[in-house]
Amino acid sequence: MLYRANHTTRYQYSETVSTCHNEVRLKPRTLASQKLENFRIAVTPSPHSFADRKDYFGNDVRYFCVLEPHTELILTASSTVRVTPQEIPPPGSTPAWERVREYLRQAPDWEALRAYEFTAESPLVPVGREYEAYARESFFKGRPVLEAAVELCSRIHRDFVYLPSSTTIDTSVAEVFRTRRGVCQDFAHVMIAMLRSLGLAARYVSGYLRSGAQYTGAEASHAWVSLFVPSSGWIDLDPTNRVIPTDGHLTLAWGRDYQDVTPVKGVSLGGGQHVVTVEVRVVALEQAPSSAAV
Amino acid sequence: MTDERLEQPQRVWGYRGIPGHYDEVLQESGLPRRPWRRIVALVNRMGLEQFGRRWEQGRQLIQNNGITYNVYGDPQGKDRPWPLDPIPLVISPKEWAGIEAAIVQRATLLNLILADLYGPQRLLKELRLPPELVYHNPLFHRACYGVPVPEGVYLHSYAADIARSPDGQWWVLADRTQTPSGAGYALENRMVSAQIFPEAFRQAHVRMLTRYFQCHRDGLLSLVQTRRDNPRVVLLTPGPYNETFFEHAYLARYLGYTLVEGADLTVRDDRVFLKTLGGLAPVDLILRRQDDAFCDPLELRGDSLLGVPGLLQAVRTGHVVVANALGSGVLETPAHLGFLPGLARQMIGEELKMPSVATWWCGQEEPRRYVRDHLNELVIKPAFPKLGSDPVFADSLSRQARQDLLAEIEQRPWAYVAQERVALSTAPVWTGQQLAPRHVVLRVFAAWSNGSYVVMPGGLTRISTSADSLVVSMQRGGGSKDTWVLTTEDEEPSQLIQPSRQLVDVSRTADLPSRVADNLFWLGRYTERLESITRIGRSLLPALSGEGDLGNSVSTEAGLRILAGLGYLPLEMVQVSPTEQRHWLEKTLLALVFDPNRTTGLGWNVTQVKRIAWQLKERLSADTWRILSRLDEEFPQLPTTGSSQRLLLPHSLLDGAILRLSAFAGLAMENMTRGHGWRFLDIGRRIERALQMISLLRYGLGAAGGEEEAQSLDTLLQIADSSITYRSRYYTLLQAGLVLDLLLSDEANPRSVAFQLATLSDHIAKLPAQEAGLRHSPEAKLVLKALTAVRLAHAGDLVQAGENGEREALARFLEEMKHDLETLSHTLTNRYLSHAVSSQLVASA
Repeated sequence: MLYRANHTTRYQYSETVSTCHNEVRLKPRTLASQKLENFRIAVTPSPHSFADRKDYFGNDVRYFCVLEPHTELILTASSTVRVTPQEIPPPGSTPAWERVREYLRQAPDWEALRAYEFTAESPLVPVGREYEAYARESFFKGRPVLEAAVELCSRIHRDFVYLPSSTTIDTSVAEVFRTRRGVCQDFAHVMIAMLRSLGLAARYVSGYLRSGAQYTGAEASHAWVSLFVPSSGWIDLDPTNRVIPTDGHLTLAWGRDYQDVTPVKGVSLGGGQHVVTVEVRVVALEQAPSSAAV
Repeated sequence: MTDERLEQPQRVWGYRGIPGHYDEVLQESGLPRRPWRRIVALVNRMGLEQFGRRWEQGRQLIQNNGITYNVYGDPQGKDRPWPLDPIPLVISPKEWAGIEAAIVQRATLLNLILADLYGPQRLLKELRLPPELVYHNPLFHRACYGVPVPEGVYLHSYAADIARSPDGQWWVLADRTQTPSGAGYALENRMVSAQIFPEAFRQAHVRMLTRYFQCHRDGLLSLVQTRRDNPRVVLLTPGPYNETFFEHAYLARYLGYTLVEGADLTVRDDRVFLKTLGGLAPVDLILRRQDDAFCDPLELRGDSLLGVPGLLQAVRTGHVVVANALGSGVLETPAHLGFLPGLARQMIGEELKMPSVATWWCGQEEPRRYVRDHLNELVIKPAFPKLGSDPVFADSLSRQARQDLLAEIEQRPWAYVAQERVALSTAPVWTGQQLAPRHVVLRVFAAWSNGSYVVMPGGLTRISTSADSLVVSMQRGGGSKDTWVLTTEDEEPSQLIQPSRQLVDVSRTADLPSRVADNLFWLGRYTERLESITRIGRSLLPALSGEGDLGNSVSTEAGLRILAGLGYLPLEMVQVSPTEQRHWLEKTLLALVFDPNRTTGLGWNVTQVKRIAWQLKERLSADTWRILSRLDEEFPQLPTTGSSQRLLLPHSLLDGAILRLSAFAGLAMENMTRGHGWRFLDIGRRIERALQMISLLRYGLGAAGGEEEAQSLDTLLQIADSSITYRSRYYTLLQAGLVLDLLLSDEANPRSVAFQLATLSDHIAKLPAQEAGLRHSPEAKLVLKALTAVRLAHAGDLVQAGENGEREALARFLEEMKHDLETLSHTLTNRYLSHAVSSQLVASA
C-alpha cells in the first residue's frame, strides 16, 4: 500500500517568540514492512539552522532553531511511504508468556537484551500490582503470549472509553486506569504498563493511521503498542482500534513512552499563551487496504 | 622535635571517644595519635577558654563572609550560616598516600564505566553489570548516549564519601559523579581555620589546597577544542535558591570564571553564547553545578526550564565541553558498589584499593535472599536515590511496616539496596563548652588533569549532629571540619593565576551577563530608595518629641503632609486635631521603620537589598557584602515594649542605616572598576534618587502655605540632606523658590534632580551600542529632554501658586519629569536587561 502523509503543526502565540529550539520525530522509519520513498519537512519562518541525527532508539530526529521573531510557527512534514503487512505468527503458536518473561531475564543475545530494556518502568509508565492484576485475567498460566496480548488489547478497547480531550499530556497512567477513559496515547500507556508489570517487553509506537472512517484517532498522529515475542520480533497491537496493524498504520518512531518519541516539541523564549493545532491526512495512492480485526 | 616531647600531653582536653568506634585523635591507651600531637599540644597550651574565644572570632569570620548553606524546606529562610567546627581532622602523610591512590583508582574506573555505558555498552553485553542498573536507572539519560566527549573524559571532577570502621580501615560510602559539591566549602573552611590557628597551621606542615584547583583548571582547559588560547569558561549554577549557591559563587570567583544561570546562555549555530551587555560572547567550557536532568529542557527533562535549550546539540557537535559530561549521574547509585571489585579486575587489572561499604542490590536473587534473612541488621535504601528519600533502619520498623517493606522489595526488587551499618569513627567537636565525640565522614575530591586524576590533599569532613546519630548530612543539619593532610616538607604556597603560554590580547572588560547588570541596576535603585526612606524617617522623628535641634524644628503637619503625599497614609489624616496628628505621625513612622510587609517601609526594602545582593554574591567585594549583611541584621521586628521605648530605638537604627548606606555608596564609588556593572549600579541609583526627589518636591512644595511654609521647607531641606548648603547660602531666609532651585536645578548639588540627570546623560553615552547608527538612542533622547527641561525651568515661576493656593505649574512639570524617568527606566531595561522573558516548553502529538 502506498500512502502520502501530510502532518501540519501550527503554533500560534499571543506574544512574540524571539527564538525557539525544536526537536521533531516525524520521519517514518524504514522497516521490513515499511519503505520510505519520499520525505520533506517545511518550516515557516525558516529555521536558522538544523541538524539530523538518530536517537538512542534509532529514530530519525531533526533539530532546528528559529531565530526570527514570530507569533506563528508552521511545520509541515510530508512523506510517501509504502507499507506491507507485518508478518504475524498464529497467536496460538507463540511461546507461553512466562517463558517469554524468563527468556527476557536471561537475555541470551543483544536483541533480547535491548528488548529487556522495555520491561523497565519509564518516566510516564509505572509498573504495579493493579496493572498486573488486570492483565492476569488474560495472561493465565501457560497461555501463548500473543494470544493473551490480543485478548488484553480487546479488553482495553472494551473497558476504556475513547474520549477526545478527556486527558492531556500530563494525565497520569494511574488516573487513566482509574477513570477508564482517554485517547490513543493513554490506551497505549495503560497497555504498556500492564505488559511490563507482567515482566514482558512493550514499547510505545508513534505513527499515523490511514485517514477515513475506518479508524479512531486518524485526524491527529496516533500511538499504539509493540510487544516483543521471541523468534518473531516486535508485534504491533493497537488497543484504540482493537487491531493488529497490518498496512493501515505508518510507523514514525518508537521508545519507552510518549516522552521518548514526542513528534514535535520545542522550547520557545517568550510567546505568552499558545494554541497548537495539528492536522494529519494520510491518503492511499493505491487501492484496497486490509486490516485484520481482532 | 624536642618541644613536642616536652609537651607530650597527659590528658587530651578531657575528651574521650565512644567505645566500639575508632577515634581519630586518641589511641586506646588514651594518648593522642602521632599526627595529632602538635595540635593537641597547641590547644592544651592555649587552654579551652582561650580556645573558645578564638573560635568566636572564627564564627564571626564565617558570618562576615556570608558562608551559607541553603536547606531545602527550611522555614527560617534561604540561608543558614555554614557550621564549621574549629578542630580540624588531621591525617598523616602515609595514611593519605593510601587514600589518594584509592581515590585516583576509583575515579579512573568510574570514568571507564561511564564511557562504556554511554558508548559500546560492553559491560551489559558481556553481562558484567546487571542491565537493570542502567535500564531502570532514571539517571541514565538516553539522550546522552553516543555523545562524544573530548579524550573520553566524562568525570572531570569526582568526590567520594569515605569513613573509617573500628579497625581503622577506610571504606567508600558513596560516589558523587554528577556535580560533586563541597570542594569550595573545603577551601573556605581552610581559609577560616588557617586564620583562627595560624601558628598551628604553620607548625603542623599542612598541605595546601591551591595546587589541586590549578590542576583542575588546567585539566579542563586542555580539553577545550575551540579558541584554545583564551577560552571562556563559565560556572553554571541553578541559581541563588540552590543549597550550595554560596559555593558556586565562591568557586567562580576563586577560579576566575563567570557565574551564570541557564537563562544567561543561549545556543546559536550549535554554539553556546553568554548574553552580555556588549552582545553575545562565545562560551567554550561549562563547569556545571546543575544536575543532568536540568541542563537542557529540550532533550533532557522537559518540565524544567532551568537549563539551556539546545545545549546537548552543542555538545554533540563538539563546540562546547560540559564538565562533568552530561549523563554522568548514572553512577550515583549505591547499587553498583557490589560490582566494582570485579569491574576493577576486568577493566584496569587491579584489585580495588579501598573497599565500598557492604552493599546488597536486591535485583539479584541471592543478595535479595540475604537481605530478607538479615533485614534487621541492615539499612535499606532506594537504589536510585531521589531527594528526600531517607534510609530505612529495618529494626526500628513495626512488624507490619517490615512486612510491607519486604513485599515492596519483592514487587520492585531492582529499586532497593541494603547496606551494612557502619560504625563510623569519632572525632572531637567543640560544643561551646567542651569537646565531645561526633561521628565523621570525609568527602574527598579528585579532578581529571593531564590524563589522570589529582586528589585534593584535604577535603570536607562532615560531622553528625549527635553522638548517637550515624546520619551525616549537611541537609540534615550536621556540621563540618577542615581536613589537614600533613606533609614532611614545607610547601610553597602557589598562585592561581598562571602565565599563559601564548600572548593574549589585553582585556579591560570582563563579561557582564545581562542578568547581573539587571541585578546591579536594582541594587542601585533599592539602596537609594532605602536611603530616601531612612532620611524621611530620621527627619520626621523629632516632630514627635515636639522639639528638635535649634533651627531644626519640624512641624507635625508638614511631616504628615509629606508622608501622605508619598502614600504612607490617607490624605484625610492630615486635617485632624493636633493630638490626632501626633498619633498618626507616630503610628506611620513606626510602621515605616518596623513593618516588614510594607513595601514602602524600611524592613521590606532591606530584604530586597539583601535578596539582590545574594544573587550578586560573587560580584560584590567582601567589604560590600559585610556592609549589606550588617544592614539586614540590624533590622529587628517590631518591638513589643511600650511606645516610649519603641520611639527611642529608631533614632539609632536610622543613624546606623544611613552610615551603612553611605559606606556602601562610598565603596561603590572608590572600589568598583568603572565598567558597565558599576555604570548600571549608578544608573539605578540616579534614576531612583531623581524620582524620590521629584515626589518630595511634589508633596513638600505642592501648596503655598502661609506661616507653615517655612517649617515645611525646613523639613524638605533636611530630608534632602541639603540644609547646610542652603543655610550657607541664604542663612535663615526660607523661600520656596530658592529651595526649589537648590533641589531641582542646581547641578552642583549632588541631591538635585539636575545633578542626577546630568550624570545619567554621561552614563548613557558610554553604554555599549550607543553609537551604532542612531545619532540619539531613545534613552539618550529621554534623558536629554528631561535635562533640558530642568535647565530651562525657572524656579521662581514654578512656585507661583494659583488662586486656590495650589502650585499647578510645578505639579505639571514634576509629573512630566516623573513620567520621563519611568519611561527611561523601562527603555533601558528593555534594551539591555530584558532577560526576564520566560521560556516555555511546547509539545504536540
